[in-house]
Amino acid sequence: MSTAAKSPPLQAAAERRDESMSVRFDQVGKSYGDTEVLRDFSIDIAAGSMVSFLGPSGCGKTTTLRILAGFEPVNSGDVIVGGDSVLQLPPNQRSMGMVFQSYSLFPNLSVFDNIEYGLRIRKVDGGARRRRSEELLEICGLTEMGTRYPHQLSGGQQQRVALARALATQPKVLLLDEPLSALDASVRSSLRDEIRRVQQTLGTTTVFITHDQGEALAIADRVAVMNAGRIEQYSAPHEIYSRPATAFVARFVGSINEFAVPANWATGDRLPIASGADDVIFVRPENLSIAARDDGFLQVKRQTYTGERTMLHLGRPGSENAQWSASISSADADALQTGTRVEAAVTADAALRLPRGEAEGATP
Amino acid sequence: MAQQLKPGNRERHGVTKFFAWLPLVALAIFILTPLLSSLTYSFFRSDGSFTTSGLTGLADSGRIVAPLTRSLIVSVLAAVVLIATVVPAVVAVHLWAPKMRSVLSILCTLPLVVPAIAIVAGLSAVLRNLASHGRGSLGMELNAILQSQDLPLVLVGTYVVLCLPFTYRSIDAGLSTLPLRTLYESSSILGARMGTTLWQVVMPNIRGPIMFSAFFTFALSIAEYTVAATLSINTLPVFLNTLSSTNFRGSITLSVLLNLTTWLLLASATLSASRFGHRSTAEPEANVANEPRKEAEIS
Repeated sequence: MSTAAKSPPLQAAAERRDESMSVRFDQVGKSYGDTEVLRDFSIDIAAGSMVSFLGPSGCGKTTTLRILAGFEPVNSGDVIVGGDSVLQLPPNQRSMGMVFQSYSLFPNLSVFDNIEYGLRIRKVDGGARRRRSEELLEICGLTEMGTRYPHQLSGGQQQRVALARALATQPKVLLLDEPLSALDASVRSSLRDEIRRVQQTLGTTTVFITHDQGEALAIADRVAVMNAGRIEQYSAPHEIYSRPATAFVARFVGSINEFAVPANWATGDRLPIASGADDVIFVRPENLSIAARDDGFLQVKRQTYTGERTMLHLGRPGSENAQWSASISSADADALQTGTRVEAAVTADAALRLPRGEAEGATP
Repeated sequence: MAQQLKPGNRERHGVTKFFAWLPLVALAIFILTPLLSSLTYSFFRSDGSFTTSGLTGLADSGRIVAPLTRSLIVSVLAAVVLIATVVPAVVAVHLWAPKMRSVLSILCTLPLVVPAIAIVAGLSAVLRNLASHGRGSLGMELNAILQSQDLPLVLVGTYVVLCLPFTYRSIDAGLSTLPLRTLYESSSILGARMGTTLWQVVMPNIRGPIMFSAFFTFALSIAEYTVAATLSINTLPVFLNTLSSTNFRGSITLSVLLNLTTWLLLASATLSASRFGHRSTAEPEANVANEPRKEAEIS
């Protein structure tokens, strides 16, 4: 798929990474009856950046997006786009583009007409409309599809058209509401990369809603992990993974091991410590080193081969449960067969260390 | 390999087939016999010779023009008013008050259980009451406007009510097949107001149900006799009844033509419902599975 050279209007959009495209939620509160969905929700989204809202079902991420789009009113707080509050503006005056999970293309219109819909409403003349839609078709890899109707396209193609349609009006903010959820795995990953490429080409401020952590980490400049209507952590993807701020984030993003350790435990000491535990440390599987040892605290329960790496599932000797996991080089896996007693050490600083009381009860 | 039926089984199969078709054949005889008899009477004298005197008699007198025009205007208006009110109302309920769907459904189906003659009796009482306020009063003016022979609005209103259940059902079913909320939200976020969304997105996608409703309302309105006759408004069916005392063959000819027109309209309604409903069929929100095979074409 070729990337089109940017024409003047698209160039202008790419250069528009100014304050008019920044987004700020200021202590927003939202309830449905007695159910509080958002609580003092605040976030700053820089112009031209792509932010993922990641969280389990019901955490309030879609509500946040719908508030930004203007489809839901707020109970308190403010939503500011480009320095101005948008709460009083209806959706059709907010200058946003949105892509829905269910594509939501207009079935009675061809691909061209779908993309030109917003431009026609803005009374852009026919020639400019057609040029714009052709550029977007090329950017989104749909060059030959202009005259087709939505029912003649596959799911991935429809979502590309939806993306082109949302971008046609050069929105201040692009809102993506789980756009990949309805697609199968192979299409998901290619379209995810496409979305990122198009976003970077055009420099549109983008909010991407997903419950898939892989997607969120792969696509965004920053990730906001949400839980029960609040942001648990808002950081760059690598920080979310390697330095989770809370037990919830540590448990929700990626695989993690939890070990109860005494207050004087230090990196390099043996794991786990069964008694006198004051703290809980959270360690990624790849940050555990495993060595066979006859009096080891742990036992290999089973192995999962994933190619270059092998995942060892570890438990206490005599227990059926595999409570921990360690990712090791597959070359070392032969020496650590099922049933082998092992000891574990933490190779880097733990991702997170919390007092025991604080670590409990934050399960996603 | 096809299995051969034994002779006994074959006979039983034939009898079953015959009985399956019997109701349809009986229905066809029941409908076609009077129609064919009317058609024969319209165009053939008792000695068997062909005649068009029924048609020429109708054309010569010129008295048909006013009731025909009146009926056409009333029928078109009834269809337009019905579509223009029911579509936005049902869309609004689907979008913003889905819990009210059952209430709207009951309200719109109510005319089915009230006989037309009961509606007319009620209307007559209201009109009499309006007229009783005396010459020059607002009530009298209103009465005159409603029952004007040029444009009898009372008939338009009555036909709208009588056709409401069928139109509501058709539009409601059409909208239920659309992911209406996301279509509306997509259109809004692209800058469209509600009116534009309704006109450019919603209505084209329920063309089938709209066409069905329009044809159905027109067909029912142009052939309606009871209400118009009771309110003494000279529409085409009322004129047809009057004509039967002076030009019997003409009245039968007109009746046959009216019958055929109604049938054609109803057939158009049914055909349009299936034809226009075809291409604009949208995928319901849940049905969004993709096809990797097609995806490969552009990867």
